[in-house]
Amino acid sequence: MPTVILLDVSLSMSRPVPTSDTTETHTRHTIATAAVNTFLDYLSVHAKLEYVALVTFSSVYEVSVPFTRDFDSIRSKLLVLEEGDKTCIDTALLGVNQLVLNEWGGCQTPVQIILITDGSSGVGAIGRNRMVHALPLPPSYPAKIHVLPIVSPHESSLQHAMPLYQKIVDLANNTTTNSNGNLSRGSIYCPDQLTVPGVITAITRLCEQHYQEFWCTLKCGQLDARVQLFPAPQTISLEELSATYTLANQIHVIGFLQQQELTTPIAISKHLVIPQPQAGANTGPRENYGSKTPTKEGSSTDGSATEEDMSDPSKVPNFCVLLHGALKVEGMAAVVLLGADWWGTLTASCEASRGRRSCLLLSVMKPGATAAPWLGALDQLGPAEEGTTPAETFPIRSWRSYSGGGSACAWARPHALLADVQKVLRHARKLPDKTQHLFKELNRLRRAAISLGFSELLTAIGNALERECTALPPNAPSECALQLAHAANALRDPRTALDIKHVLTPLGPNYNVTPMTH
Amino acid sequence: MFPINHKTIFVLDHTPYFGISSDNPIDFDVPKNRGYLPVPPICKSLWTCSVEAAVEYCRIVWDLFPEGKLVRFVVSDNTAHMLNTWAVAQQNLTHLLNGLCLVGPVRRGAGGDVEGLVAAIEALAEPSPDQTSRPNERHFQNRGRVICITSARDNDSIKNLKDIAHNTIVQINKKATLAQPASTSESTSTTPQTLVIHYCHIVIINVTPENAETRVTNQPLTEIAGGQIGVEVIVSRASALANLLGRLVLPHYKLATTTVTGIPMKEEQNASSSANYDVEIIHSLDAHAGLRASQTPAEALESVVLRWWTPRGAEGGASGCCGSLWRVTPADVASRPSACLVNFLLNGRSVTLEVPRKGGGRSASHVLAAQGGELWIGALGGRTPYDDPPALSEGAGGRVTDYRIKEFGALMQQNRLHPLRGAGANGRARARLQRHTTYWPLTISSTLIFNLGSVLDPLTRLVVQETLTDEEVDTCRNVLLSLLAMESRHEFPTAQLPSNMRGKSSGRREEQWRQVWAELEALVRAHAAAPQHRALLRVLLDCRAHNNHASDGESRATVIRATTDSPLSPVGAGNGGSSNGSDVWAPRNVLDALLGAPRPARRPDFAGRMAAGTRVATLYSQLQQDVETSH
Repeated sequence: MPTVILLDVSLSMSRPVPTSDTTETHTRHTIATAAVNTFLDYLSVHAKLEYVALVTFSSVYEVSVPFTRDFDSIRSKLLVLEEGDKTCIDTALLGVNQLVLNEWGGCQTPVQIILITDGSSGVGAIGRNRMVHALPLPPSYPAKIHVLPIVSPHESSLQHAMPLYQKIVDLANNTTTNSNGNLSRGSIYCPDQLTVPGVITAITRLCEQHYQEFWCTLKCGQLDARVQLFPAPQTISLEELSATYTLANQIHVIGFLQQQELTTPIAISKHLVIPQPQAGANTGPRENYGSKTPTKEGSSTDGSATEEDMSDPSKVPNFCVLLHGALKVEGMAAVVLLGADWWGTLTASCEASRGRRSCLLLSVMKPGATAAPWLGALDQLGPAEEGTTPAETFPIRSWRSYSGGGSACAWARPHALLADVQKVLRHARKLPDKTQHLFKELNRLRRAAISLGFSELLTAIGNALERECTALPPNAPSECALQLAHAANALRDPRTALDIKHVLTPLGPNYNVTPMTH
Repeated sequence: MFPINHKTIFVLDHTPYFGISSDNPIDFDVPKNRGYLPVPPICKSLWTCSVEAAVEYCRIVWDLFPEGKLVRFVVSDNTAHMLNTWAVAQQNLTHLLNGLCLVGPVRRGAGGDVEGLVAAIEALAEPSPDQTSRPNERHFQNRGRVICITSARDNDSIKNLKDIAHNTIVQINKKATLAQPASTSESTSTTPQTLVIHYCHIVIINVTPENAETRVTNQPLTEIAGGQIGVEVIVSRASALANLLGRLVLPHYKLATTTVTGIPMKEEQNASSSANYDVEIIHSLDAHAGLRASQTPAEALESVVLRWWTPRGAEGGASGCCGSLWRVTPADVASRPSACLVNFLLNGRSVTLEVPRKGGGRSASHVLAAQGGELWIGALGGRTPYDDPPALSEGAGGRVTDYRIKEFGALMQQNRLHPLRGAGANGRARARLQRHTTYWPLTISSTLIFNLGSVLDPLTRLVVQETLTDEEVDTCRNVLLSLLAMESRHEFPTAQLPSNMRGKSSGRREEQWRQVWAELEALVRAHAAAPQHRALLRVLLDCRAHNNHASDGESRATVIRATTDSPLSPVGAGNGGSSNGSDVWAPRNVLDALLGAPRPARRPDFAGRMAAGTRVATLYSQLQQDVETSH
């Protein structure tokens, strides 16, 4: 998850911190700087791919370093920050919202915000109340806010600010707009004492709780590989399923699909699958069976490389790399089981913009068997029996018609009703060729009118048909008049007009024949 | 836990008052109507207006949420008519419209909306299928919404309605809390139990004909009964009811609308000219998340206007989307432009939408596409946290160049998934993958048998099957025999191998043959679960035994005889009993197979036996002597 470090640079941050040690003098700002550096150090070991931005604020905010993976640029920026005036958390959060939406908004990327401030909210009791209401929270993107107050736990200002911090943490999580489930909540990390080690302990606790690497095993039958998922998948809680889902530490491939069959999966999150060196025990006899045989030892080219292979992980065959290559060559995707009732897909994704660098990408689908409707129920994906072709093929088409179940509900807008009435009248003018069409259309109209209780319409059309009948040109076949009169009467017949089971039919051939003999 | 929009109940007033005209004549006399006799204007009844508006609301909900969002209809006159239940089979327009047909137009009679409102609240207390499926989670919130379309005389009557709703909820909750301990003490209650209603949002829509005066006023959402009930009252003309509900559905289900502007379409009357049309579509509010940065809060409530970006030859479909797709439905299904857009998409084309900019410069923001017969919108662009991935070639296994990619491709093709019916399909797929990967070297240089291609192909292909027919065992045996024959001719199918593995010297060949047999045994042994596989394994072991005594011409003959004579019941097969103690069917790994393989009899015999000659050799013969001498 991209991270925003929201650093307070208000004047109060420059207050010196009283220490017994006279050799060093610290201000709250230098302690905060130490915390940020510790955080960046942790990331460069455990989450090199994380994007971090530095936003400083006082009464105004400034994006000091936009989102980057170059943590050194943040470190060097920390040294040259200018101090501002007073703490204004609501302004700062507004700025963060703007920054995040501009940068990550389109994809609803979850973001973590670490608010580092000095425990004084910058306003009095009334102002605090007002600020709680003015907070631009919850943000319109999924977010977690952590608060790290650079303050001694005994300071009275902290007691006043605590409710505000708690409110910020709670509100951030209160995002109701996201249909893809909610993040876990952020927390407040109060240092035990106002010293550099105290704050470093607090920020390390934060890192360990919220910036854990995620490791798991990707299994495909008996083949497996240890992989890291980045960004680390979040626990998902779905409101409508009233359940939470956490990724298991084993991902099982259940089979493969053509990329065209999969098309675009509805992913709630996507993660890079990065192969990791195998633990020693995993390079069992199967993987390096060949290298143990005398054959290879006899060959001069790779016999000597065997020892080296074992020490350099990039030269040890890894299933993940094989899978990526095969998926890419075949244009296929793997369907994986992430947990109970939860699926995802693995694809070889290639970014055109980044020098065509390709990677294995895990798309986590929404929990539940219906996450990709065009694949059918995901729990019913299975292998074809040998020698048989399955009855159904992808994509599974839905029954949806986008016409509103006939046309009954479309008449709320007059133009739709108008079009339907005109169609009937057009057919009525083209008798006897369109007799079948006329009655088909009339039955459709009747069905809709009956379900809406719109008997007025039927009477009106009955009358209109009757008038068409009288206005027939003298040379018209007599069948026209008979059919029109028949239809008009049927529409207005009080016994059958509103009976849905009754179907209007054109007059039979014997009626047609009789007039012809005249 | 269940959202308010999980359950919605419409209460439609079917009392005689709703039979009156809405006084909003629909004019059929349009300029296009050349030569036709004019149809006199007609008016819908209040009933027709309320039905069509409510049905349209349902259409939007069900188009966008095929599951999990339930709507029920209660028609209220002197009794309450339930048109459907929470059952999934009854949650569709066809069922609803059939029910409405049976209700028919308004009849004379007493009664009113009260019956329906009470019935609706009772319906809210009935558990939905989703709620029944988790009866153990008592902590879920049973919430819902009642939309009551009625016509009251004045605010007092509305107040009356609210009180009745309140009382009903109180009574139901009392009953539910009483019934609950009883039902939990029993194992599983089969009768549909009553749930406590935690929150009920009641929307009372007061409908009047066009010119009638009403003494009911709009009332914003107010919470009563300690936040248990939220009531709002909206006054609407019958003619505006459809628009009102079309607007209300958006916040109720967190939806937003997009107007796709500038869609080029041929004119209906004149196919040679084309004009630009707009189509309004409805989808989840989340689809607009990416646009929020540039919107003011007021703009966020309006329909977002996005311009049609005429598709060019190669289209990416929705594949460029960075994450979620959201279902889309047209706001006005009956209009011709909507129908054209829907058909365009359903025919497999996709459309890119762009944000209209005044200053020029284009930026694609969304894509519309159909998948599986449904319409979807996806957001484009934006950064993702997984951008700029680390190169695979620098990671673990990245520098290995001889992965068996082609073969794994073949394995993927054999393990393609298909939509099946019935449970356990996933399990079968995994079992099959398990079988196919039992012996599967990752790289070309770590295997010989999979590099021998056509020589070994039938065997490697067949052996992974769950069961083998006798003919297939035969085929495999022939493969093995042809290998034996090849070996006896001192040939090796080197042409099949990659160049670096082709050995010239005969010593190397011998090693290669050893590896081939060892690998074959590992492969077959890994699959030796079914009787036919075991038979194959015995054949192979016989061949291998021979391989290790290559100089002995006579033994080869016996092997060939033994393996050709009776393929169906090889020597010592018993009746397929697996418990006869032989290690042949014991699952073993490759290492065991290698270690356990018979070795060439090059080692000198046990010294004791050589000394003993034909007699039985005694072990530790000196032991006793040593003990005696030490004393």
